[in-house]
Amino acid sequence: MNPKDPRHPWQRLVAGARRAREDRDDAAPYGFATRVAALALAAEGCGASVLERLAFRALGVACLLALASIAFNYSAPTRATAAEETVGTDDPMAVLLDV
Amino acid sequence: MPDDATTFDVAGCLQRVRQRDQVAARELVGYLYPLVIRIVRSHLPRRVAEEDLAQEVFLKMFSRLEQYQGAVPFPHWVSRIAVTTCIDHLRAQKRRPELRWADLSENEAEMLDAVMTSESDVAANDALAAQELVQKLLAQLKPDDQLVLRLLDLEQKSIAEIAALTGWSHTLVKVRAFRARRKLQKLFVELQRKERA
Repeated sequence: MNPKDPRHPWQRLVAGARRAREDRDDAAPYGFATRVAALALAAEGCGASVLERLAFRALGVACLLALASIAFNYSAPTRATAAEETVGTDDPMAVLLDV
Repeated sequence: MPDDATTFDVAGCLQRVRQRDQVAARELVGYLYPLVIRIVRSHLPRRVAEEDLAQEVFLKMFSRLEQYQGAVPFPHWVSRIAVTTCIDHLRAQKRRPELRWADLSENEAEMLDAVMTSESDVAANDALAAQELVQKLLAQLKPDDQLVLRLLDLEQKSIAEIAALTGWSHTLVKVRAFRARRKLQKLFVELQRKERA
């Protein structure tokens, strides 16, 4: 006999079980709602500050990279200028004309 | 579903909760608690306190509030979170204790014997014992099978309602119900064999 059949033992058992009334109180226990609301909103607050912290860190890293980039590029023209001056003093015409 | 659905302004409360109004959050929990606790009690895993599970359901609800777009009524959306939370816990319980006749109370054993050997209905004053026995029989099945038979046979929900509650397709609900009933039939045959032995 198929358990879907109304005469099957399972169907007669569940039909009997359905008649059982749920007498337990289904109101929230005292303090439950307050506790859950506090936990939920505290968790949301923590989540937002984590994002803020990550954003500030990213900003700091970006600033450092920008400064490093400026420093690297500044030193390059400085070397180039020094190299040009060295070439200038080796120029024989410059020496001859005492420029 | 809460009975005072027409008087509680769910949309207004949700708006205030999104603005981090703790009073609104508290009101929302109080309003939805009866719905959540009924689902939790129906699908309570072994050794899990119903209040702890209810709390977990509510915390998930709050953490996913931004995902609620209003396509379904809010209590339906929360029901789905409650059902999936319960089934996650049931799945985490890998070992299911084997049902033995010795584990049944005298009343449960008599009732099981009566339904298996005769076609008489369960007496009205045996309803609670029948409920306990049904829970023990369902506990022998896998979580998904338990869920589908509980919703289909015990709570008499339609295939469409079960699909909406679980997120399964209609076909999947029917297939799961078919397989669960087949396992249940094997369980009854095994119990009958043990009784004769």
